[in-house]
Amino acid sequence: MEQFWNEFPILSVITLFLGAFLTSLVGRASEKAGRVVSGIAVTAPLAMMLCLIRPVMLQGQIITYWLGGWEPVEGWAIGICLEVDALSLFFALIVTVAVFVSCFYAFTYMNHDDALSNYYTLFLMLSGSVLGLVLSGDLFNVFVMIEIMTFTAVALTAFRTTYEGALEGAFKYLAVGSLGSTCVLVGIAMTYSQLHTLNLAQIAALVPAFRGNTVLHMAFAFLFVGFGTKAFLFPFHPLAADAHAVAPASISLMISGVLTKCGVYGIIRLIYVLFQNANVVTVSYLVTGFGAVSMFVCVTMAFNQHNFKRLLAFHSISQVGYVITVAGLSSALGLGAGLYHAMNHTIFKGLLFLTAGAVQHQTGSLDLDRLGGLSRRMPKTTALFLIGAASISGLPPFNGFASKWMIYQATFTAGLIHHNLFYLAVCVCALITSVLTLASFIKVTQSVFFGQLPAEYAGVEEVPLSMRAPMWVLAALCLLTGIFPAQIQRFLLTPAVSAVANIPAYVDAAMGEGYAAAHGVPGAEVSALPVGGAWSPLSWLALLFSVTCAVAIVAILGSARDEAHEYISQTQDGAAGAKYDSFFSGEEAVYSQVGGSDLFWGFKHNWKRYFAVMQRWHSGIVNDYTLYGVAAIAFVLLVCTLAL
Amino acid sequence: MKLKKKNVIVRCAADLFLPLACVFGCYVVFHGNTSPGGGFQGGVLIASAILLVYLGHGEGQVKHSFSQRLLHSSETIAEMIYVVIALLGVFTGLNFCFNFVFAGRELETSVLMNDAVGYHVMAGIICLLMMMLSTLDRGGETTEEEEEQPK
Repeated sequence: MEQFWNEFPILSVITLFLGAFLTSLVGRASEKAGRVVSGIAVTAPLAMMLCLIRPVMLQGQIITYWLGGWEPVEGWAIGICLEVDALSLFFALIVTVAVFVSCFYAFTYMNHDDALSNYYTLFLMLSGSVLGLVLSGDLFNVFVMIEIMTFTAVALTAFRTTYEGALEGAFKYLAVGSLGSTCVLVGIAMTYSQLHTLNLAQIAALVPAFRGNTVLHMAFAFLFVGFGTKAFLFPFHPLAADAHAVAPASISLMISGVLTKCGVYGIIRLIYVLFQNANVVTVSYLVTGFGAVSMFVCVTMAFNQHNFKRLLAFHSISQVGYVITVAGLSSALGLGAGLYHAMNHTIFKGLLFLTAGAVQHQTGSLDLDRLGGLSRRMPKTTALFLIGAASISGLPPFNGFASKWMIYQATFTAGLIHHNLFYLAVCVCALITSVLTLASFIKVTQSVFFGQLPAEYAGVEEVPLSMRAPMWVLAALCLLTGIFPAQIQRFLLTPAVSAVANIPAYVDAAMGEGYAAAHGVPGAEVSALPVGGAWSPLSWLALLFSVTCAVAIVAILGSARDEAHEYISQTQDGAAGAKYDSFFSGEEAVYSQVGGSDLFWGFKHNWKRYFAVMQRWHSGIVNDYTLYGVAAIAFVLLVCTLAL
Repeated sequence: MKLKKKNVIVRCAADLFLPLACVFGCYVVFHGNTSPGGGFQGGVLIASAILLVYLGHGEGQVKHSFSQRLLHSSETIAEMIYVVIALLGVFTGLNFCFNFVFAGRELETSVLMNDAVGYHVMAGIICLLMMMLSTLDRGGETTEEEEEQPK
């Protein structure tokens, strides 16, 4: 059935690439023209993807589009294909929304930089490649798009070459990112050597006949590590921190919200559709294990950061760890929770990176130890940051709560059903990680927005509306997706999860009716997502209110015997207390802020052995990071070839 | 030993091979659909002309003959030509990148796309080579241009 929206996938990708070329042509003559072109180029794909919600998400159609009309002949797909099912569209929506917000934010945010036409060209190419990746129905085009994505992202990371470490961060990203791309290429070559096809649907149809083929197990290992690199999973997480800290904030949003999602999309597509081995215990342990380690290691690393965006970067990987963890559970609830959290992560992490960018734009600094008290000068940015921090920490009624609740449910249910202590341990790990996330965001809030305002930032002003508007869009999405989880499940999650479960439909849409049945593709096991995480936002709002009241009362009552007063009394007794000397001897008051790094010193002290190990691991040497990558490949290869 | 001036043999050889390189490159581009080669290979062959100019006449002549700005624009224009040709398929109700054959003649969309790729690669590679040449440390070797400047 030919419908006009069949053209939308290719048109949206081409719009972004055409926009990139046009921007580089007109952007040098007039900066305004470049902005208009990029504004149009990011809006059109978003509109087209929104139009696709009705046919793909609600009516369950799968759009296949053969470039040049080269359709499969005699059951072999040679041509290049775009195949959009609900899973692809789900990620495409995430990508287009993030690209839209990032582009409009950059218009004002980047106004101190020059060579902006290059920025928009690279940015639009990055966006186009990511959209092409999630819409592609062809494994080799996935690789091509990964390469474009990696190289444009590296160039954009180093865009502000004046930053200390910009080139270094970009170089590390380039070296280890290329390792990941190479893994994907090797995996593709191995798959091709066995199955003689690159079409995703055809691979999915042929794989069941090749159960127990060792080469395919190795191909799976390489593809898994390759996509894991793109998602910055453990042990690739140090790269993300180095890249995020130096990239412009609008690009940090892209790296954390969009590029990592490509890795997540790749892994989900790989284990559920292509190799259909998500229900194999080894693969489940492997994926869940990598996810759990990522989420725990990164959240503890975030405690030690002194740079705003480095801290956010570690949290970003930690949240992606949640997504991968539940994606490995091979249950509809787990996958639904993972997709929900993937979407929410893009929204709230994007918001947090943009507020960090706003702080950087106005103060010129990201140093948590130097900033402080900005809530007085930038109250609106502070409000936006608090919304983002509440979301990532999983406080109701924001979206982080809804998806994390589903994650706890999914891991706990998996533990109970399989009588498996590992999944229960993962559930506990997820809970602890969430608590640590909250603690870590209290540190940021205290260090940047509360406390004493340093004299050098006394004249800081609020960011202009053109930068706040994109942030408000994300903040509104944080609230909306948190308040209406049932609607999100109906319109987005259930179709996506059903599409993943219904492999025969995916195969038949590309290869023709009956192809899946002829090749013995297992039928749809799960048709609908059991509505999990049912909760009433109002009751949790009441709980939040009562807890806040309790905290406030304790804080007010507790202030009677303030530690500060004890310090002062010590000082007057003659003990050394240089901080409060000024009140005794009349000297000029010195700037003294309760640094964020001091907030949790007790925790860090207790964990000093663990942190000493971590300090050795995060050496910052690209050779070490590459070696970790090679070690990860070796480990996954060993597991996949021996235990599958 | 300092090389005061480009050797006359080098200059003559460069002048001789310059048109050959261009013509052969164009040949490879235009016959890309029926013979080995195509836009990428032919484009690089044409772009090698800049190296001949550099070897024969020095960096000053390169800067004089080639406009980096124009080449950069050409590169993006070539990309857009490619996309527009590919989009012709969509606008006529067929698929993206659809291969038209115009009334039995040898002119297909794939030929036009090949030419666009050739144009793009030529402009891109010349741009790249110009950037590389401008960063070369010539280590005491002077070109004609620099020699003439003191006069």
